[in-house]
Amino acid sequence: MKKETMGFKGGFHLLDAYPLSVCNIIDEISSDSTPETFQFPVFGQKIKHVIVNLCPTEPWALPNWVILKHKTIVFFNMIKEIQKTYFSDARLYLAITEKEDRVVEEARNFAGGEDWIRVFSLSAKYPQDDPVILTKIVLGMDVNFGQDTKPFGILILDPQTISAMHEQGIMRKDVTSRYLALSGTGLRENEIIHVELGTSVEKILKNKVREAVTFRVFINGPLRGKEITDFSQKIDWSVNNIVVLEEKNRKALFPMFKADELAFTTNLIGESRRCVYCNFCDDICPVDLEPALYYHSYVRGEKHKARLYNMGKCIECGLCSFICPSKLELQKIIIECKALGKHE
Amino acid sequence: MKKFLKPIEPFLDKGLNIAESFIHTHRTAHFLFGGLFDAFDGLLRSPKETTQTLPFIRNNYDVKRFMGAVLVALVGGWVLPAMYLFGWQCVIPKLLISFIAGTFIVDVLWVIIAREDHISEGGFVTCLFIPAILPPQAPLWLVGLGAALAILFRNILGGVGNNLVNPALFSRLFLTICFPAFLVTGYQMPLAGMQGTYAGLDAVTHATPFTAFKTNGEIPSYLSLLLGTETGSLGETCRLALIISGLWLMKIKVANWRIPVSYLGSVFVLSVFFSLIMGKTVAPPLFQLLSGGLIFGAFFMATDPITTTYNQTAKWIFGAGCGFVTVLIRDFTTLPEGVMYSILLMNLLAIPIQSLMVKIRYRL
Repeated sequence: MKKETMGFKGGFHLLDAYPLSVCNIIDEISSDSTPETFQFPVFGQKIKHVIVNLCPTEPWALPNWVILKHKTIVFFNMIKEIQKTYFSDARLYLAITEKEDRVVEEARNFAGGEDWIRVFSLSAKYPQDDPVILTKIVLGMDVNFGQDTKPFGILILDPQTISAMHEQGIMRKDVTSRYLALSGTGLRENEIIHVELGTSVEKILKNKVREAVTFRVFINGPLRGKEITDFSQKIDWSVNNIVVLEEKNRKALFPMFKADELAFTTNLIGESRRCVYCNFCDDICPVDLEPALYYHSYVRGEKHKARLYNMGKCIECGLCSFICPSKLELQKIIIECKALGKHE
Repeated sequence: MKKFLKPIEPFLDKGLNIAESFIHTHRTAHFLFGGLFDAFDGLLRSPKETTQTLPFIRNNYDVKRFMGAVLVALVGGWVLPAMYLFGWQCVIPKLLISFIAGTFIVDVLWVIIAREDHISEGGFVTCLFIPAILPPQAPLWLVGLGAALAILFRNILGGVGNNLVNPALFSRLFLTICFPAFLVTGYQMPLAGMQGTYAGLDAVTHATPFTAFKTNGEIPSYLSLLLGTETGSLGETCRLALIISGLWLMKIKVANWRIPVSYLGSVFVLSVFFSLIMGKTVAPPLFQLLSGGLIFGAFFMATDPITTTYNQTAKWIFGAGCGFVTVLIRDFTTLPEGVMYSILLMNLLAIPIQSLMVKIRYRL
């Protein structure tokens, strides 16, 4: 099989921009109450395609090695068993990041010439692992953002869910804990933790946050996740990672000479200005939109016009706001304009 | 640089904080100097605003760095070569006058009067353009007037981000109309290697390559045009340095590569076309590419992102339109140079081109 990497136009190499070194020791954290158990996914429709997402593109996401444990073959056999038991007539697609060529190699050897499994080596650009882009590249099918893919017969699973399904469905053991990636400038050390479901965020962050630092906590990453202010919130299966960022809400002298100091904090790193038409946002857009058009419509007070420019295709990856040198709140504008459309 | 700045940082930070709290507590001080202080503070310190909506981290790249890259490219592209070719005595005073008149007088007054929040770095770029597009023998007051007009014009339209046309070129158009004598005759041969003697106004004026071609059909060697040992505006002569720094700007994506490519490409194609039809009465293609302000205009003026179209496909049309107008003016009018007019005209036409392309793309 020829070695090829598939990708898309736009996107951003977040992994290169924010290299996070993670401590290899996995910390075990147990909850105070009885832990919740993993809910086995139910599929009403007949599943035709199963995509296994082994392509984390966010630096704060859970790395593959935590689940694969450098024993890739064991994991692949797990997949095979699950496929035989649950989706015997579905086809499996392994979407593996190009950065781990050893895993790609092993997967290709494992798949051999068999028909039920396909291996894809995907570029590690963010947001490659988004469901919309993943189905587009792997299956060539168009799904809308936020749409449930199950009616199309597509199921997208992350490695952790696969291993939990295997443990609970085939080994008949209750799964009560999951791996989480903890990272960010507000922490003493980036690490992976093994935590029981139902543990509160407060307990997880105990003794891990740097002293004398104001911080903000984000669940599932600062780009697409959500900020939490209530730390008694409990961890459930949908939480993949926790990012703790330092809140740099003070002025910094000579920012041009110390780029690293402000990076990966909540600081805006620059003044909000008017749009300078620099084309950064449409160069980076993974779905080929022109976000500045929405901004122009918005400031002219024509929110309804913004929806004419293919706004429905937006996957809310946040890259346009991320890259904007004028620090415009493009994603906020897009979400606002989209919400306007739903009410009508 | 970081090490050098470290010892003064605490004092500077403290001083700025004291000044800030003083200005914000005294009403008269705030009324008079509030905007000015914020502008000065903005140049030294990053703002303290943090992200409040998704995404919660932002890229380490702001408009200041964007403009800073243009400044660096301009210094490498024309200031250094011009200092070598025309002598630093010719370049430095003009730069100083341009900056003083543009940013330190007009912009500062504007900040005080119109109560803007900050002095924009765009002003520095405009002021660095002004001496480059005037003849080497332009008097200092002309440079100062040009810079002041450019900044005033830009501020009236609403500052960086609202420019209709390139302010530096608009100012040059204004000067061409008001003081044609200075802008037509003030060209001299470069004094490369003659540093130390202030030639200034004593130097013999000489026609630009295009005027010479239009009067008696002589064409200078292409190498001298490329290296800048021919007459021309202060900043446009050393094409080699301009091309190198322009390519750098394109590489770091500050200048969009589509515009120089389509601009230079269309000039080349059209001049080949007209040369084939009309023979030696029109300028040959290579001479067209390497003379006048074409290289400077294509890499630095036309690529000014604010005054071009936002749509990427429309940028091709924009560049091709610039090339078309340039060749038409050069070949069929008595005007010696057409780059300024073509860019100004296409800046205005960018608005309809943009809305047309948006309509085509989204089928509206």
